Amino acid sequence: MNEARLRSLLREAPIPVSEDSERRGLEVLEAALAEREPRRAPVTSPRRLALALAVAALLGALLLSPAGAAVRDWVDDVLTTAPRPGPGLAKIPGGGRLLVQSRSGPWVVQADGSRRLLGNFEEATWSPRGLYVAAASGRTLTALKPDGTPRWSLSAAAPVSDPRWSPSGYRIAYRSGGGLRVTDANGTRDRLIDPAIAPVAPAWSPLGLSQLAYVGADGSLRFADGESRRMIERARALPGIKRLEWAGETLLEASATALQLRSISVSKLAQGIEVGPPRGLPLPAGATVRDATLSPDGEKVASVLGVRGRLGPRGLVVVFDDGGGGRRLFNAPGRLSEVAWAPHGGRLLIAWPSTDQWLFLPTGRGEGRSVSEVSAAFAPGARVASFPRIEGWCCSGWIGQRG
Amino acid sequence: MGTESGAVEQSEWPGPLPARRERALVREAQGGSRSALAALYAAHWRRAHRAAYLIVHDAAVAEDVAQDAFLAAVGALDRFDRRRPFAPWLHRIVANRAIDWARREALRRRVDGAGEREQLARPPEGLGEDVMEALAELPAEQRAAIVLRYLLDYTPGEIAGMLDLPRGTVNSRLRRALDRLGTQLEAER
Repeated sequence: MNEARLRSLLREAPIPVSEDSERRGLEVLEAALAEREPRRAPVTSPRRLALALAVAALLGALLLSPAGAAVRDWVDDVLTTAPRPGPGLAKIPGGGRLLVQSRSGPWVVQADGSRRLLGNFEEATWSPRGLYVAAASGRTLTALKPDGTPRWSLSAAAPVSDPRWSPSGYRIAYRSGGGLRVTDANGTRDRLIDPAIAPVAPAWSPLGLSQLAYVGADGSLRFADGESRRMIERARALPGIKRLEWAGETLLEASATALQLRSISVSKLAQGIEVGPPRGLPLPAGATVRDATLSPDGEKVASVLGVRGRLGPRGLVVVFDDGGGGRRLFNAPGRLSEVAWAPHGGRLLIAWPSTDQWLFLPTGRGEGRSVSEVSAAFAPGARVASFPRIEGWCCSGWIGQRG
Repeated sequence: MGTESGAVEQSEWPGPLPARRERALVREAQGGSRSALAALYAAHWRRAHRAAYLIVHDAAVAEDVAQDAFLAAVGALDRFDRRRPFAPWLHRIVANRAIDWARREALRRRVDGAGEREQLARPPEGLGEDVMEALAELPAEQRAAIVLRYLLDYTPGEIAGMLDLPRGTVNSRLRRALDRLGTQLEAER
């Protein structure tokens, strides 16, 4: 035996590798590349700099002048009227695929508007790249392909709810019997993480190996390792918390009347977590939070609020940036119920049950789209159709193209 | 699906990319080209993954370490100096993260007692099984030195730069590791 033999052994000895790991890794990497800020060329020309300064000064003067107030209002409130309702769902504006829960079960809606009922499940969630769906029904957790083909089922001792697939694709967390459980994504190694948690869906770390956040039965915000089951960190959760989300380096907590953010710093390999102090988001007086969700990069929060107008209840869509500044995007009479980000951000899907519509609104400039008769689209043949729930909008366009 | 395991990677060793080709791919990836990124990934993933596995001896963690290293590389692409080769930059990240994880895991085992990980850490049977087991017995720092020297062919001076160590420390780690591996290597003779 010599060094050459050692080299040969190190290079040729068989090592375990999961079948899809290389491909999965590339998908994650390509998504990271797509989300990367494009490199900006430095401004070197003094003339261009001077021109930019002049334009900025002119804009500033306009916005501060009485006449500019109207412009400022328009910038604040991008859309004040709903887009004209279009016919049924013929195409998803912005692409991607939707997972929609109706009374008859979850549906997958393809980018071209075609849709398929997956089966008799009570709720469902996408896998991170939309290759699978995890669905819960009674005491059963099932993984299936978006075409409805089941892959495996897991029977729990108690009813299953709130399945959440980890961003790595390796694990699924869910609530059952008042506790939090995690199973490997092939339905094996089901384990109990915490025997007593609050009825709030857990949130996986977008970066870490296996960390997840959840709310304990005592109302505390907890971070645990879904592999070793070790408790990593604990903090005080927003009182009355109903929703927890984790994206980028931000954690969102939402109750019926408040929204707050925390910065989360994860040491991926050390499996340590630093939880920042809560920062409340400013809401209009008397507003109720119908729904709120973090943008895919964790830098914005889209919220649907209920407010009391002079002529009755109104729905308000407000987008907050990371600094906490809010921008009204849309307001409408009646009730807005849900909001979901497009996979790449830049567009929101708003549920407007009062008018049986979905609204696809750009968060910047651009044209909004409206889809009418949503209920009937997910209740074919039914006399009375209820408005469906949006479970998720998935995934990057290039993945969707692969089906 | 997430963890369909059981496949075994064996005997693949793509040659390095020509320097000019690699520089072009890095430049295109910096500009957002997915195909360039895929080409870089194809050229480097298996080597990075194998290096990570030989240091951490855990299949799932090795995949995460390799992926994490690529993600870190993509995150820092704009700052990457294209005149320098890509592989040492990537391997430096892989080695250091794998060492960090292995140290942490060793500490956790001391605190919690040996558990599930030990079962996962058993290497697959086959070629060089004894050597793999002997390698797994080495401290993570020595494993990393062996992997960088004999798997990835870096010189002790280069390894010292990658691990931020004096060259003498790298030499002594290599010597001690080879001594400890000696029993198994001799036994195979």
